[in-house]
Amino acid sequence: MRPFYGALAGAGALLLAGLSSVQAATEIEFWHAMSGALGERVDEVVKKFNDSQKDYVVKAIAKGNYDEVLNGTIAAYRAKRQPEIVQSNERSFLTMVNSGAIVSTSELMAQQGRPVDVSKFIAPVVSYFAIDGKLQAMPFNSSTPILFYNRDHFKAAGFDKPGATWQELEPQLDAIKAKGVSKCAMVLPGDYEWSFLENYSAVNDIPYATKRNGMDGLDTSFVFNKGKLVGQVERMKRLVSSGVMQLAGQGIIPIQLFTSGECSTIIASTASHAAVVAAAKFDWSAAELPYEQGVTPKNSVIGGAALWTLKGHTPEKYKAIAAFYDFLAKTDTQVWWHQATGYVPVTTAAYDAAKAQGYYQKNPTREIAVVQLMRGTPSDNSLGFRIGNSNQINVAIMEEVSAAFLGKKPVQQALDDAVGRGNEVLRRYEQLNAGKK
Amino acid sequence: MPARNSTAALPVAAGGGALRLRWPFRRLLLKGDGQAESGLKRAHFRDWRLPFWLLAPQLFILLLFFFIPSIRALIQAFQLTDPFGATTQWVGFQNFERLFRSGVYWSSAQVTLIFTIAQNVLTLSLALLLAFASNHILRGRGVYRTVLLLPYAIAPAIAGIMLAFLFNPRVGPVAHMLQGIGFDWDPNRNSWHALSLIVMASSWKHICYNYIFLVAALLSVPQSILESAYLDGAGPIQRFLRISLPMITPTLFFLIVINFVYGLFETFAIVDATTRGGPAGATSILVYKVYQDGFVTLDLGSSAAQSVVLMALALFLTFAQFRFVERRVNYSV
Repeated sequence: MRPFYGALAGAGALLLAGLSSVQAATEIEFWHAMSGALGERVDEVVKKFNDSQKDYVVKAIAKGNYDEVLNGTIAAYRAKRQPEIVQSNERSFLTMVNSGAIVSTSELMAQQGRPVDVSKFIAPVVSYFAIDGKLQAMPFNSSTPILFYNRDHFKAAGFDKPGATWQELEPQLDAIKAKGVSKCAMVLPGDYEWSFLENYSAVNDIPYATKRNGMDGLDTSFVFNKGKLVGQVERMKRLVSSGVMQLAGQGIIPIQLFTSGECSTIIASTASHAAVVAAAKFDWSAAELPYEQGVTPKNSVIGGAALWTLKGHTPEKYKAIAAFYDFLAKTDTQVWWHQATGYVPVTTAAYDAAKAQGYYQKNPTREIAVVQLMRGTPSDNSLGFRIGNSNQINVAIMEEVSAAFLGKKPVQQALDDAVGRGNEVLRRYEQLNAGKK
Repeated sequence: MPARNSTAALPVAAGGGALRLRWPFRRLLLKGDGQAESGLKRAHFRDWRLPFWLLAPQLFILLLFFFIPSIRALIQAFQLTDPFGATTQWVGFQNFERLFRSGVYWSSAQVTLIFTIAQNVLTLSLALLLAFASNHILRGRGVYRTVLLLPYAIAPAIAGIMLAFLFNPRVGPVAHMLQGIGFDWDPNRNSWHALSLIVMASSWKHICYNYIFLVAALLSVPQSILESAYLDGAGPIQRFLRISLPMITPTLFFLIVINFVYGLFETFAIVDATTRGGPAGATSILVYKVYQDGFVTLDLGSSAAQSVVLMALALFLTFAQFRFVERRVNYSV
């Protein structure tokens, strides 16, 4: 900068400082993927933080869906204009960890003198987002799938509530359709790979991939093409081809078919509470995920996203980030967030506080997800998933499974092909990231 | 040096006396001795600077949006890379090998072939029909033309969403109508239904473009020939098929090329909004797959390899069409 402009800028800054007579707060950018009602909740929580102190200002910016946020972040990072915080979904865990672009949350908090006590967080969140007991990202919006149902439809078909196992639930769904209560007894969610396959394998304690679903190394391989998982896809196919389970398709979101009263049930994220409460004009309720008869159900696994801290910023910015994370982990913030959005509280203290308030007596369906996540001792099959290039594999699996629905190939072959395609992606990921966790 | 405001112009020596050059151009075209020449040759420019600056904006745009991305795609096609760029490995032809071994890619190529041909035939025949019909309507011709041109002003994404909604088997009014007449319409569970949906959406969007060219072409068919055919007793359809159609073949040829390019490269938004490549990859055309592999699943190497293949395909198609199809086109009246 030439001296003259430098002086001018300096004078301007002095003038501004004199006018406002406050020291400029450190501003950090937070890119997120929440839209609609959830986007408003993000703005609210950020405003709460900004109002709670005057040293730091967080600017929340909605950047589209998770894929778009991640793409934007990658482009920004490569152009060296990355934001300080970015929200990324659970599927991108390994991509983020191995990106070389992030500062681990545990490390950041320790440096800023606000060390993280991992034991305060609920177990399924820790097992997903921590490596060797160190949080890699700040848990933010965590959810798990549950079964929402239309109580009016169940009553009309002569049932009290949905059965706990698939063996009980399936005849109920068939009956709802057969008795003409509803043309659509269940709607297939858009993220069925998560709710019907991954969570199914966790709850029923079946391996999905070797090496504890990838937790023990990148040399993991998929094994979901045998046993009960084949049965589960056969079941889905039967439900789809008999018209009991409908596909929403493009133009509408599956949950809308539930809230409009057209479809009687949906297995969806507990965060759908926001949409259901706002739109459902009938007597609805929710239940835990159905499981196989004779199985003692294990915990389900989380979905949702965490906040990642990006590299390349000044120490003041990291101070601001740490303060923001600290605020997010506070019990008050967590309780508010849990109740306002439907996501689960990520700390046990927040869960206890909500319970003590009597919140779950008034809103019993809000507790289902938390209970389901925390039941029993997690087994190797229900710790979570650590799969490289998970988005890529996800697309391949959904493509193969829907090919089975369409009758293009038998279920077994579709799953064999999905495993084959998935493993090919895993090997490529291993090749690229050799020597990493 | 002549005065800047002078309107004095001098006739260009060769190439037509009607062309008169005003000051800046005259200066460009004149040689040192004041003699003008026909056509623009390098020799007309006294030094390289002026032509350079005249070309610079276009070259800059080309560089920014074509050459740099193409070269980067070419490089990336031979790499295996982490999305953030943390790790990059040279893998030779691995990405291409993987692509050509993959059944999914070949089925995508097959879908693309069916889609582009169906889209081309549907668009061109409907546009031809409409152009023919609206040429024979006397009252309200302008209104018809305006209405027919409107879809072109609608963004592809909106067109796609609208059709997806209209034809949604659960809530779409058109879908309900189809189901009402006993047709089990369901693009979520039937590949052909999904494919026909994107053919419809992309044709609907592109008919107007074809239409306006065809209307113009039909208007340029000499009235005298049509009238003499009329006197010989040819009806309107016969006149159209025997006289107009052969005379507008250059336009038809141009539109076929444009439609292929449109179908191959510009239908991404429609596919994304209407079917997202589904069900089970039934509408995942090549250009959509490039997007999905590159931007959704972050498989950059494969996506780059695919765009290189597409680039080669585009070059080949354009070459082939001009080389072989154009021979059969009659340009002379």
